[in-house]
Amino acid sequence: MSVKRFEGGSRVPGWYEPVDPAKDAALVPSPQEVQVPAELRGEIERHMALYPDSRSAALPALAAAQRVHGWCSPEAIDQVACVMALTPAYLDAVATFYDMLDTEPVGRHSVYVCTNISCSLRGAGELYEAMRDGAGDDPEFNVRAFECLGACDIAPMASVDGVYVGPLAPEDVPRLLEDVRAGRPVLADKQLSTRIVADPNANSRAYPSHPIEGGES
Amino acid sequence: MPRPEPKTITFTIDGREVQAPENAMLVDAAKLGDVEIPVFCYEPKLGNPVGACRMCLVEIEGIPKLQTGCSTPVKDGMVVNTESERVKTAQQSVVEFLLINHPLDCPVCDKGGECPLQDITFGWGPGKTRFVEEKRHFVKPLELSPEIAIDRERCILCYRCVRFSQEISEDYQLVLLERGAHSYVSTFDGHPYVAPFSGNIVELCPVGALTSREYRFRARPWDIEDAGSVCTLCPAQCNVTLTVRDERILRVLARDHSEVDDGWLCDRGRFAYPRLGGEGRVTEPLLRDGGELRPVSWERALEEAATRLKRAGAATGAIVGGGATNEEGLLLSRIMREGLDSPHIDSRVAGTLPLELHRALAEPNLQASVSDLEFAHAVLVLDCNPIEDAAILDLRLRKGVRRHGMKLVPATAADLLDERSAQELAAKLRATGPADDAGAEVVVLWGERLTAGPDGARAAQALLDLASTLNLADTKGAGLLEIPARANGRGLREAGVLPNAGPGLSALAEDGLDAIGIARALGEGELSCAYLLGADRAGEEWERALERATTVISHATFLTDALREHADVVFPAGAYAEKEGTIVHPDGRIQRLRQAAAHPGECRAEWQVLAELARRIGLDVEIQSGAMASQQLFDAVPRYAGLTLEEIGGRGVKPHEREVAVAS
Amino acid sequence: MSDILLFKDIDEPGLATLEVYAKRGGYESLRKALEMTPEEVLAQLESSGLRGRGGAGFAMGKKVSFLPKGSIDKYLVCNADESEPGTFKDRELMQKSPHMLIEGIVIASYAAGASRSFIYIRGEYVRQADMLDAALAEATQAGYIGEDILKSGHSLSLVVHRGAGAYICGEETGLLDSLEGKRGNPRLKPPFPANQGLYQGPTLINNVETLATVPAIIAMGGEQYAKLGTDTSKGTKLVSVSGHVQRPGNYEIELGTPSREIIYGLAGGPPEGRQVKCWFPGGSSAPVLTAGDLDLPYDFDSMAKAGSMLGSGAIIVVDDSTPILDVALKVAKFYRHESCGKCTPCREGTNWTVKMLERIDNGTATPMDIEIMASVQEHIIGNCLCVLGDAMAMPIGSMIAKFRDEFETHIEQARARNDLAPAEPEPALAGGVSAHA
Ligand SMILES: Cc1cc2nc3c(=O)[nH]c(=O)nc-3n(C[C@H](O)[C@H](O)[C@H](O)COP(=O)(O)O)c2cc1C
Ligand code: SF4
Ligand code: FES
Repeated sequence: MSVKRFEGGSRVPGWYEPVDPAKDAALVPSPQEVQVPAELRGEIERHMALYPDSRSAALPALAAAQRVHGWCSPEAIDQVACVMALTPAYLDAVATFYDMLDTEPVGRHSVYVCTNISCSLRGAGELYEAMRDGAGDDPEFNVRAFECLGACDIAPMASVDGVYVGPLAPEDVPRLLEDVRAGRPVLADKQLSTRIVADPNANSRAYPSHPIEGGES
Repeated sequence: MPRPEPKTITFTIDGREVQAPENAMLVDAAKLGDVEIPVFCYEPKLGNPVGACRMCLVEIEGIPKLQTGCSTPVKDGMVVNTESERVKTAQQSVVEFLLINHPLDCPVCDKGGECPLQDITFGWGPGKTRFVEEKRHFVKPLELSPEIAIDRERCILCYRCVRFSQEISEDYQLVLLERGAHSYVSTFDGHPYVAPFSGNIVELCPVGALTSREYRFRARPWDIEDAGSVCTLCPAQCNVTLTVRDERILRVLARDHSEVDDGWLCDRGRFAYPRLGGEGRVTEPLLRDGGELRPVSWERALEEAATRLKRAGAATGAIVGGGATNEEGLLLSRIMREGLDSPHIDSRVAGTLPLELHRALAEPNLQASVSDLEFAHAVLVLDCNPIEDAAILDLRLRKGVRRHGMKLVPATAADLLDERSAQELAAKLRATGPADDAGAEVVVLWGERLTAGPDGARAAQALLDLASTLNLADTKGAGLLEIPARANGRGLREAGVLPNAGPGLSALAEDGLDAIGIARALGEGELSCAYLLGADRAGEEWERALERATTVISHATFLTDALREHADVVFPAGAYAEKEGTIVHPDGRIQRLRQAAAHPGECRAEWQVLAELARRIGLDVEIQSGAMASQQLFDAVPRYAGLTLEEIGGRGVKPHEREVAVAS
Repeated sequence: MSDILLFKDIDEPGLATLEVYAKRGGYESLRKALEMTPEEVLAQLESSGLRGRGGAGFAMGKKVSFLPKGSIDKYLVCNADESEPGTFKDRELMQKSPHMLIEGIVIASYAAGASRSFIYIRGEYVRQADMLDAALAEATQAGYIGEDILKSGHSLSLVVHRGAGAYICGEETGLLDSLEGKRGNPRLKPPFPANQGLYQGPTLINNVETLATVPAIIAMGGEQYAKLGTDTSKGTKLVSVSGHVQRPGNYEIELGTPSREIIYGLAGGPPEGRQVKCWFPGGSSAPVLTAGDLDLPYDFDSMAKAGSMLGSGAIIVVDDSTPILDVALKVAKFYRHESCGKCTPCREGTNWTVKMLERIDNGTATPMDIEIMASVQEHIIGNCLCVLGDAMAMPIGSMIAKFRDEFETHIEQARARNDLAPAEPEPALAGGVSAHA
């Protein structure tokens, strides 16, 4: 499986970009420069009030901005920076550190397929391929190979817009994508929340042999 | 706040017993025993150690894991080993790790020859690599700002530059983006890193990742010489090391002085010089001829100036600019007072201040030092804007607030002049002190403009009243620190370049006009000759003054419009790197300028020009060298008595502290 | 199992609600604790012998006792980042029995004198965080959280803080930085969080399971609790079993239960015809054990003695159908992805290791590379800022040590696929130039 590469062979886009000397220094944006949607501002301020140091709200604030903008775009970051009175660079540094904050545009529906060890041992590689093929170039989907999502009991699994489903087989993919497109609860019968802990047979099933491949981390 | 008094302990390193201050970090303590522990990320100026690079691993008896020497405070009886096999393996492996993605393009790297990564690889590296994978490759260098280029291949992710931006200058523009092996130093969304102190990151970078665009490929370390001097672009007077190649200044670096600059430079000080030394300079004497300034020989220029000065005599008014040395100021004041019988000379812009006030404000026990800013309970920032008036002090104030909990209290003259608000201010400042009645250590950082204008004297008196209310004179670590309007404002006053005071603030037989008076008198024809020693005066009043003046004589590095239009004689003047002499820091420290670069073209030292001019108007000042000019200054100002240039040296001397030292 | 504490009512419908939880005796331990002095509660925790369930296995009572006394602001942080591959036990507790965790937090905060608490939950656990928020609202309403809890004079605020996807934020100091709104880079230790943690204040950090065990300890008494398990590993433990077993899932066991009983007895072992090739006893950071180790009792010390660790209690089973190289590559890539990048050996070492493993797989490696890889692991271990680097180097090192033959065969076969000659004993690429003789 090939990794997305940017100019110069970089996996990281920024490595290749000079600054634009025509721009001004990026300081803490003033409320005059940046319009923040009232609802977003309210949510960020609510988070800030929860902590002895309002800076602690950086993650929830960025997550909120991502919900509004679809990703942590420069505009989104500027808005958070304005409300929190931080420089946008500070928030960009934070956003790029965390896997769930997207600093490149992505599809609206996130499908995180766990490709870490336990899921891989049970066929996550195949599942991930199937998911990518299934979503194809549908711009609504953000299909990603993800590190262990903490649900190896339903391996191989995926988190679809935050809902855990599994165990999944490649055959489940079309139905999964259909559910998302139709706005239905995704694979209602395979949601983790329905699983009974004390029933050890809940996940009994065969698994393919020699399955570890694919799924770039 | 009382500064911590370290106690001395004894520890053992590589079998040697070494004495060191308790809790010094091991890497620093080791140096006292001549043991070098290699470091990359450790830089005490940047605050607490981060322990990121792992270069400084050492073995400490009783602790199973290797420890980072940069973050381990030394304790009495500690036994440290930096030479065991385990330590060597660790050091070699860290160098190996750092080099696997480093391009090793040393032959074309500006840092080559003065690069910590090269030095440490040589001293502590494995000497070979086992890495056969492909390194990362990127286009380089990229622009990071108009002044700085970044080469991300070379970066070893030591965190120094981003820590500077985040914790020292607190502009928080430079950050690390992404995570792990993909991390890289960057700004937000392609914005350039433009901040008042950005250039320091070039000096902090231990590899060639951050380079000065101006200096790129201009010299290799073996082509250059270092020369220590002092930047006179603002009153902060940061100590600098000038990089000299073929008698020209290519680069300005910080020369760490904890009582002056704390090892930082502002971007103006760092990047302006090469331009100051370069194009557009006045390099030969100019004389107005047929309405235009034309180059002439020194002989003609001096003769013309002398003739005109003699003719004007006591109708001459002189203004001395802030870049002038004490010696130059003293010399010109002698020309004026002894040669021309004119008392009209000034170096201040703010108008006359009564002599008693000058003296009271200069009282030795009222003087705060720069480091007091950091440790005070509170700093009253009075009628000044540190970032503009003396940039480097801005960093010191930030450090005080961040590391020592100092409180910043801004105020203006108006707050002081109103009795009630002055009382409130005093109460507020006092409240920052400890609960017992030890008294708050307050430093008042005040701008010379406090004493400007019609209320100037009243404001100065109010400031003195505040100082006595807070008992600053008797409180250790407290006092006043003035930011003069011009770089050497304090020195020129001490040298007697005032209308109402001679050297050492001595009283004069006859007071002259101050700068405002001189401009007015010129404008009204009461004075006929203006002598401008590196002084660039603007404004309507001066426009009229120069217009009306029969004669305008000036020493200038660059021609301004006013000079182009009105000057009759222009002597080429030296920029600071070409000067020798002394200047005085706002806290009273005499600092020494040493000539690092050659004068361009025909330009001569000011002392030389002034001495020659004096001779031609019939005054023998008996000065044949810069050193003689300094000696004359030391003899003229009582408090400088016995000083020598050697004593001032590279670190400067505070005469008022010296008195104490000599007396005790 | 007879001695089930945490999972006793786990499948009770509605256990996540205060109503059902209270009916099952919920918050009784809190009442009991608040009638004691904080010192008495601490004594119960100490006598229980409870060791941290997050990975390091540090005695919980002792950690509480490290916090300075006095009326400074102190914090309690619950580590719900649960990102160690193979671990999913905390998820079960938070989703099914959130009140048990909240109750544990309140009791522990009382013992520690903390007045503010936070649950740092990994961002991927959306549902679990929602459940916690709902439970928190109920608990606040009922007066178990807030000012003057049950008129005891003890006050506690609690915030459920959602992470955003970074394994390193499970490391306690990385977590603190992240909770302060920064990149989740680990901090230098010392100072330890107990002295200077969140916002530089004294901070108690414990794993979800550790804190969720507290109500049970108070209910039964520390000494009673200590009767469960072994001498040095007291009590019960939630074990997440995954990978090549027939019944993956969470099981509560008494510490000291034979590993075979967990892997085969509870989780059903690999399917017919397959054998255990190796297993991670405590998440992917634990050095692998082999089939020969299956009879070891599953407890902290036995795992340590076998050269591995109990870690988070996540058993990942790999059967003989899987090449060891695939396992190594998976593990190494995970740590490369999750390295925060702050310290050199981890950042560069994980990256280098992945590249070497990739070359072994694509047939351009020689046996010399195994040597180099093993030495790189040694150079990482013990030299990093936190133990994430070690967490890769130890399992990879263990795989090289235990399966070296297989690595060598892999190299030869891959080279043959590429039509490359069998590797020379001394490849030209190694060696390099000596910089100073
Ligand atoms: C890389 C790394 C990741 C960790 N991840 C977690 C985690 O996800 N959850 C957890 O509880 N502890 C984790 N830990 C352990 C914590 O640092 C810490 O020891 C633990 O939260 C303490 O709680 P305990 O004493 O209750 O176990 C991790 C440690 C490291 C080095
Ligand atoms: S650019 Fe230089 S100073 Fe900044 S992190 Fe890289 S090596 Fe360090
Ligand atoms: S100098 Fe000590 S870790 Fe970098």
